[in-house]
Amino acid sequence: MTVIHDNMEDTGAKMKARDVSVYYGDKKAIDDVSIDISPDYVTAFIGPSGCGKSTFLRCFNRMNDTIPSAKVTGLIELDGDDIHSNAMDVVQLRARVGMVFQKPNPFPKSIYDNIAYGPKIHGLAEKKPDLDAIVEKSLTRAGLWDEVKDRLDDSGTALSGGQQQRLCIARAIAVDPEVILMDEPASALDPIATAKIEELIDELSGRYAIVIVTHSMQQAARVSQRTAFFHLGQIVEYGRTSDIFTNPIEDRTKDYITGRYG
Amino acid sequence: MSPITLILIAIGLGLAGWLAGRAKAWSFQKGSPDVRPVARPTYHAWYVAIWIVIPVLAFVTLWSFIAPQLVVQSVLASPGAQNLPAFGFERDSWLAEARAVALGNAPGVFNAGAEPLIEPFREAIGRYNLIGVILTVLIAFAGGTFAFLRVRPDFKARTRVERTVMIVLLLASLVAILTTFGIFASLVFETYRFFSLVSPVDFFFGTFWGPDPMSSADNPDASRYGAIPLFWGTLFIGAIIAMIVAIPLGLMSAIYLTQYADPKLRQWVKPALEILAGVPTVVYGYFAALTVAPAIRDAAVAIGISGASTESALAAGVVMGVMIIPFVSSMADDSIAAVPAAMRDGSYAMGATKSETIKKVLFPAALPGIVAGIMLAVSRAIGETMIVVMAASTAANLSANPLDRMTTVTVQIVKLLTGEQSTDHPTYLSAFALGFALFLVTLVLNVIALRVVKRFREAYE
Repeated sequence: MTVIHDNMEDTGAKMKARDVSVYYGDKKAIDDVSIDISPDYVTAFIGPSGCGKSTFLRCFNRMNDTIPSAKVTGLIELDGDDIHSNAMDVVQLRARVGMVFQKPNPFPKSIYDNIAYGPKIHGLAEKKPDLDAIVEKSLTRAGLWDEVKDRLDDSGTALSGGQQQRLCIARAIAVDPEVILMDEPASALDPIATAKIEELIDELSGRYAIVIVTHSMQQAARVSQRTAFFHLGQIVEYGRTSDIFTNPIEDRTKDYITGRYG
Repeated sequence: MSPITLILIAIGLGLAGWLAGRAKAWSFQKGSPDVRPVARPTYHAWYVAIWIVIPVLAFVTLWSFIAPQLVVQSVLASPGAQNLPAFGFERDSWLAEARAVALGNAPGVFNAGAEPLIEPFREAIGRYNLIGVILTVLIAFAGGTFAFLRVRPDFKARTRVERTVMIVLLLASLVAILTTFGIFASLVFETYRFFSLVSPVDFFFGTFWGPDPMSSADNPDASRYGAIPLFWGTLFIGAIIAMIVAIPLGLMSAIYLTQYADPKLRQWVKPALEILAGVPTVVYGYFAALTVAPAIRDAAVAIGISGASTESALAAGVVMGVMIIPFVSSMADDSIAAVPAAMRDGSYAMGATKSETIKKVLFPAALPGIVAGIMLAVSRAIGETMIVVMAASTAANLSANPLDRMTTVTVQIVKLLTGEQSTDHPTYLSAFALGFALFLVTLVLNVIALRVVKRFREAYE
């Protein structure tokens, strides 16, 4: 059903999904999806609205657990460990698999406390200087340090939309995750802020495995090296981004990226 | 004719004006369909109706004050009034009797001298009723005609109607504010009278409360008016014991209901909890006096505390605390539930547990609502009277032992104001001073709470 290109030659999989289905009540939102997420690249999920790409993304850090009516079946692995097994604690899973949401959602706390939140709950810093160092490092990696270093005590919600989103990325980085999931991270931002976020994703790739859901095919083409095209709860085609956009095998993929529907 | 009849007439005429205004507006709208009218016909209709009803209402209000006096004057001018007694009190009662008979509210007069007044009364009432109706109709017609003539295609009826609506709403909100000022002014006046008899220093710093209503009114014993035991009792029962019970239980139930409970369970438990707030306080009083207080006494005796009585501050405070749980929990519940789901998801996605998310994200963001709920609960507890009367006695007592009898400001106010009292005796006036102090304390508490909230709130917008 799913066409997987055979020229990807990825070195192992950071995360693996096998026959994953998601139900909202009786409705099946994701239908038997399998995919390997490369540790080295940015993987983009594209597809029309309502195709289930965000729902699928939320499986990787078990955020669907927070929706009472959602039910996930199938196998998902992080470094070969089943994330639904009893041995895997959801708290640790989410420390290893961070997430950035569609709408920037900084906590109504100071910029410093926003970043320090994760390290504090996971006990990553023993003393204040350690925490300071984590905050500075995370903000620097998110490209926000120079803009906010003089006002770390200001509320995170007082920043502009683009800054807020980079703050959220810094917050996710602060707990030193292995995978970062991004659910349309730039869809609520203006073009300049979007460009900054894309630049940031580029810089972070390689250090973290990144999975990004996006509506914009241009964005997928710009930031990702692997692309999966979703349609009606299934992956239609998965391969190198350049191949998906220039040499799609499936007609549905071709139609979507040439703008015939979606 | 009663004012109600006049108002009904006004409404009837208003309806007629409404229909007439609309008909006229319709006709000119149909006459020139290509001209876009400034206002829809309904607005013209309301404009006419307003011009009829409001002047008439103003007139009726005025008339219901003036008419009875005009009636009395014309009766006094009648020959039957020659024999009226000169003494005011007796004279008034004769007049009242005659009027009651004339209106058909009484079968006959008690004083024979009032008999000749009945007929003049009946006549005068009839005459002024007729005048009232005629004036009502005239005013209605004048207003209606004025408005009706102004109904033209280019007349901006909509803005006029909207402005009237605004003024009516403004007046409605002024009523509440003016009432508050009125209450405050009357308190201030009576309090001033009290403080001219008893010095504020004795009142606010004295530690003995035992006003004697039998003592001389002009030269009160100021040492019997020390309100400290009352303030302490109020604070101890309402703000300390009750809050120790209500705040933790209320917040924990709110957190359970919003974060842990199954939605179906929440659907049942939340309204059930809110029903607690609707139980009359007398019922809580029974519960406190008959069940809780004896149980506390028995427990105290069992652990070897002698001299525990069946009336204790603890019993009243605990039951009061249970009573105000819904105030705390309901407001906390609403404000926690109002924190955007994005905040919660963000925290979960960082790997925070449920309780960490509640403690560090939801709770600070919901703080203003939570504090508001607690403030509401405190003012409710401070003002509570019934439970204290029934479970903690009416005797003032300055003590830090929760098993002692104690009383509160409101209980004393009730005690001071009920029964036969002379209105210029300091015992009576002290009730107003107590009320005034209570008013000030609640005001200050509210201001402090507002500032605290402003300072510590984590705004998420």
